[in-house]
Amino acid sequence: MVVDDHPMWRDGVARDLAEAGYEVVAAVGEGRQAVRVAAAVRPELVVLDLQLPDLSGVEVARRLAAAEPPPRVLVLSASGEQDDVLEAVKAGASGYLLKSASREDFLDAVRRTAGGDAVFTPGLAGLVLGEYRRLAARPAPATGPHLTERETEVLRLVAKGLSYKQIAERLVLSHRTVQNHVQNTLSKLQLHNRVELVRYAIERGLDES
Amino acid sequence: MGIEGPFWRTVAVFRAASLVYAAILLARAGGYANPAAGWLVIGIMALWTAATIFAYSVEGFRGRPLLAADMLVTLGCLLATPVVQGVHQEDSLPVTATWMGGVVLAWAVYGGRRLGALAAAVVALADLQTRGAGGVEFERLPVNGTVLLFLAGVLVGHVARLARKAEARMQEAVELEAAGRERERLARGIHDSVLQVLALVQRRGQEAGGEAAELGRLAGEQEAALRELVRLRPEPAPAGAVDLRTLLQGYGSGTVTVSVPATPLTLPAAAAGELSAAVGAALDNVVKHCGPHAPAWVFAESDGGAVTVTVRDEGPGIPEGRLEQAEAGGRLGVAQSIRGRVEDLGGTVTVVSAPGRGTEIEMSVPA
Repeated sequence: MVVDDHPMWRDGVARDLAEAGYEVVAAVGEGRQAVRVAAAVRPELVVLDLQLPDLSGVEVARRLAAAEPPPRVLVLSASGEQDDVLEAVKAGASGYLLKSASREDFLDAVRRTAGGDAVFTPGLAGLVLGEYRRLAARPAPATGPHLTERETEVLRLVAKGLSYKQIAERLVLSHRTVQNHVQNTLSKLQLHNRVELVRYAIERGLDES
Repeated sequence: MGIEGPFWRTVAVFRAASLVYAAILLARAGGYANPAAGWLVIGIMALWTAATIFAYSVEGFRGRPLLAADMLVTLGCLLATPVVQGVHQEDSLPVTATWMGGVVLAWAVYGGRRLGALAAAVVALADLQTRGAGGVEFERLPVNGTVLLFLAGVLVGHVARLARKAEARMQEAVELEAAGRERERLARGIHDSVLQVLALVQRRGQEAGGEAAELGRLAGEQEAALRELVRLRPEPAPAGAVDLRTLLQGYGSGTVTVSVPATPLTLPAAAAGELSAAVGAALDNVVKHCGPHAPAWVFAESDGGAVTVTVRDEGPGIPEGRLEQAEAGGRLGVAQSIRGRVEDLGGTVTVVSAPGRGTEIEMSVPA
């Protein structure tokens, strides 16, 4: 399923996916519609643009993540939307790719996202690392998630543009281990985000009663 | 009309009310010594009150000529007091009574504290002069009226000035907000159309290869530049400080990937500028040694007390000892433009490189 408000992009992405052998079950241009349609067609993977006319892409990602089972979400977004990208990823998106990425990179990202892997661009690694450091700098860092030394090391290398293969070589690890480290950093952040949301909801609920 | 309108209306109300008060005083005193002259003065005051109420309400009429005329008429009426009242009567008001305050208020509203005080001084002097002419000794002249005139002139002038300033600020804020809103509208429009198309051109161009790839690369650079220009939410940085991210993102292009955190990397403006220039020098080196289309990565992070920026390329790398040789040989390159800049900021530079493995230049400065 493709969600993008720009018709040229929407069609282009859908065509690329179809040509690569994926079945595009829906292509929509609005957030609410996307959530509705996703509930009906149950896509395995949603390619999501963050700039939508009605709902923000972040909110769409959040609502999609609430579905059972949740579809995998690959954020395909323009550069310069760091805050939104980070929020979308915390809300459950498992990958982020710039719109300027080549078709090969895009299809590769789709394949890996569909396979359950996190797709980390250097940009996303920088954002995630920054988020962990922000959390660690808070007054009560003990309650937040934190990275192991190895995970930090791996994330920094991803942010510097090294491929998983290069990282594996440099740290003398297997490709799969690198992939797991990256995946873990994201899972911990998403878990923390969900816990925070629940805590927030409980506080609100207690206040109201 | 703005903020001045209400002030002028208040002055008008004061004039009309004090005119009535003066007339009542005159009637109660049975017209003093010379009722005909008394009522003539009241008549003139009434005409002038009507005239000024109109004139001050029109912005074009407000000005020094009107203020001067106002003062002259007021003084004229005031100085007629001895003629009307004959022998001066202890502690009584002049024939204009409080009406003479009108001109002081007008001057104060028009020109602020100083003009208000000046008008109060002129009117008070004239007032004292009429009493002096009545034969009261100087030491026994009543000064209550004078003090009140000064108070009124200075206070009203001060408040009028403050109000005018506040209005100007407000106007400025409204204009700023309108400009911001317009910018946001433009940004949204550009974002929804131009940027999307540019990104698309970049992508399709890369796929087509050849000349189209070059076009695509150019489109990509323009996309990045335009996006930076129309950024919807510029982070407000404290005075004298700059968000390093904004500077670094200017280097982003089809070949240079810039990774930054979502939170601002705030540095003093000078330090951010130097660090950014050092990054620029490092990227220039990449172009020089690896070619114009070689990919490079810029990664900025903040950890505790330091901001670290890493520039990495996958070029041929620098053979061991090569940098030291260059430095010894008087070629400055890395030494001056990167190491010099960063060390001046109290930071450190680490160069990690091996032949065939690319180069990583890590610049770290205290935040």
